[in-house]
Amino acid sequence: MAASGKDAGADQGMDPSAGKTGPGRGIKPRLKTVRTGVQLICLGLFLWLFRITDYTGSDTIPWAVNIWFRLDPLVGAVVTLATGTIIPLLWPCLVVIGVTLVLGRVFCGWVCPLGTLIDLFGRFVHPVNKKPVQLRFLKYAILIVLLVSAFFSVQLLGFFDPLSLLVRGMTFSIDPMFNFLVTGGFDWVYLNGPAWLSDLTEPVYDVFKSFLLPYKQSFFFLSVFSFFLLAAIFVLELAGRRFWCRNLCPLGAMLGVVSKISPFRRIPARACKDCDMCRTDCPMDAVNENRQIMTEECNLCMDCLAYCPKGITSFQFKGSLQKHLPDIGRRQVLAAGLLGIALPVVIRTDALSRLPAPDVIRPPGALAEKDFLATCVRCGECMKVCINNALQPLFLEQGLAPVFTPVLVPRLGYCEFNCTLCTQVCPTRALEPLDLAKKHTFVLGTAWFDKNRCIPYAEQRPCIVCEEHCPVHDKAIKFHTISVVDDQNRTMALKQPYVRQDLCIGCGICENVCPVVGTAAVRVAAKSSMPDTFGSGTSYP
Amino acid sequence: MNRRKFLKQVTLWSAGMLMVPPVFDISPAALGAKTDDAPDIFAAKGKDIQAMVQTLVDAMGGMARFVNKGDTVVVKPNIGWDRNVDQGANTHPMVVTALAGLALEAGAAKVLVFDRTCNEERRCYQNSGIKPALDAMDDRRVACEYIDDRKFVPVQIKNGRSLKEWSFYKDALTADCYINVPVAKHHSSSGLTLGLKNAMGVIGGRRGRLHMDLSARIADLNLVIQPDFTLVDATRIMLRNGPSGGRPSDVKIMDTLIAGTDPVAVDAYATTLFGLEPADVQSTVEGFHRGLGQMDLSKCRITVFDT
Repeated sequence: MAASGKDAGADQGMDPSAGKTGPGRGIKPRLKTVRTGVQLICLGLFLWLFRITDYTGSDTIPWAVNIWFRLDPLVGAVVTLATGTIIPLLWPCLVVIGVTLVLGRVFCGWVCPLGTLIDLFGRFVHPVNKKPVQLRFLKYAILIVLLVSAFFSVQLLGFFDPLSLLVRGMTFSIDPMFNFLVTGGFDWVYLNGPAWLSDLTEPVYDVFKSFLLPYKQSFFFLSVFSFFLLAAIFVLELAGRRFWCRNLCPLGAMLGVVSKISPFRRIPARACKDCDMCRTDCPMDAVNENRQIMTEECNLCMDCLAYCPKGITSFQFKGSLQKHLPDIGRRQVLAAGLLGIALPVVIRTDALSRLPAPDVIRPPGALAEKDFLATCVRCGECMKVCINNALQPLFLEQGLAPVFTPVLVPRLGYCEFNCTLCTQVCPTRALEPLDLAKKHTFVLGTAWFDKNRCIPYAEQRPCIVCEEHCPVHDKAIKFHTISVVDDQNRTMALKQPYVRQDLCIGCGICENVCPVVGTAAVRVAAKSSMPDTFGSGTSYP
Repeated sequence: MNRRKFLKQVTLWSAGMLMVPPVFDISPAALGAKTDDAPDIFAAKGKDIQAMVQTLVDAMGGMARFVNKGDTVVVKPNIGWDRNVDQGANTHPMVVTALAGLALEAGAAKVLVFDRTCNEERRCYQNSGIKPALDAMDDRRVACEYIDDRKFVPVQIKNGRSLKEWSFYKDALTADCYINVPVAKHHSSSGLTLGLKNAMGVIGGRRGRLHMDLSARIADLNLVIQPDFTLVDATRIMLRNGPSGGRPSDVKIMDTLIAGTDPVAVDAYATTLFGLEPADVQSTVEGFHRGLGQMDLSKCRITVFDT
């Protein structure tokens, strides 16, 4: 299989004649097939890990479903800078750095699931112009902004990390859309079709449910936004192949800089004078105006082995350090650096940082807000795994820095008392792993009653559904039994609930099950807005 | 009569002949038809749950009285909470497997076990021990299924006093035999949750809305859901902080199972295990007034087996 439809044609067209002229023509083009195979295997692994990021009957997630983020050196670098600490869980990113030092940007060309998806997409959608839009400097600029602002403790990884964008896009929009469509189709047949038809479709549905679909339909804030953000990466293919990878991806930029040391190079290191194919057909547009192959741009896709009409290209450990620097000017570096300094300052002067935020209920195990924002890579894993679809991404409610970070939205779903899955999948320990005993006492927030809405107060009728569901072993919701006289002059006992703040852990099940229509009569306020922490933990950072 | 009528309507519906969801009609004549003035209550005490279930079912006339060859049998435990067996918030898994086994022996073609849970359903099914125990039976006729939202159908409860309409789970309505297997425990709204209250697990909608007049509505639900027999799991009972509980100190070992075809009488007897009178549980009183059964224990024939 070839990397793009256009190339597949060129590949087949070139092979017979090339076989006669070039030595080793039979083997080298096959490398491209190997590369595509490796890409598909990596994508398959990625999708499989994505699917099993869920409760499967065990309280522990058996696989390292977060491995992609731990392999991501951009995550490693930015989080280390932003937190000022070394996070041992991220050691696998050193493997990627090591491989890149030796082989170059193979991660981009052979492994990255987003790159593979872009390649697959490129089989169907081709650039408008033959000459790709060239903004190589931009990815370096983005990398510089991310690193510099991380140095000043503001972490903006979520906007640009390719894996973060991909996993979030899939979690928030693609996967729910997929389930909605498939389930909707089967449901429609089941509910509206004749019995003989649903007898046929239901077994197929069961197969889908067992292997392809998520356990249940999930719903996310930012589903539309995440969809367009991810879609934009693909639509940009119209402006040139691998547009994202060549011009925007800060991970690609980082690996590109590292790969400059790599001795594994395409030979010849310059494009031939009498042929333009290297320049026009390279998916990474890695040949500069001087006909030089820019190793930091090359993702070793090996397409040039297949399309070279002379069959003289090869990849060998023969490279010496190239003199040219990455394609970004000094002024651009300076501007990016200044923006990296300006952003943390301007973010800190946002008035939002001065307000208590009762709705920012962080997941269990979350570090203190300031550390949490520096450590969380906005990967969406915790929201993906949340068994009650209770964790939701923030948008701009709290300003720019916390966009995409997880919060508990109890009215949508509560935090399951015995569940610790989110703390297990967090790749950076922004959510610290909790054993069950710790989970049972970890405080997310506290519940408070709105007596103007609460049924036993406002309507003088029985309810206490909240108290029934309160999972804490010495119940945090208690009640007084009072005697009331109803409109028919009958005396009856009425239980009126109240919260013991010292016992409440803020799991939100009370708010979730409150039968009051609309806004619940019992609501959870975040830990940071609780009276005893107010004043110490509110101003960010 | 009731069940046959359900069956007919549901068959028509699922045959695709009706495009609108059916309205189940509970005819007043059928109500109280099963009521016996002096119902039997059987209790078994002991440690061997399998033997106790066998004893009780035999005492009621054997499973063949309730299950015909080829029947679909629903065994409806309480799987409401993500709690383990010792916490006593759910029906003991061995009670469920014993009943499923007896139903299969009697020739059931399908044994369905389900409950609409309060906590996340997968966690409840797993940690209650009920799904692992049923899976271990390794019998394709036994299905421990999660609730399928598509199967809730609106039902008009004509004789309902507090509740006139609610949605019910189709499989519970169409079963040839419905065995109610609640766990006996404290419940802060209704006093205790026993057999009648267990019907809450086969209804749809926002169940919290029922709490404003809970006991009357539980009785109304039981006008629709009429089990062939009820078997109350009181091997251990939750004395406080119900229905979810959690503390081992709230749980008392009773080593008792109670069974009978009269759901009110069984609940009335189970109430005494908590040191309460049948009249202390309002849903029992409401059930009695609806003609669902006998709550006066002095009028019941009570047989206690020591196994």
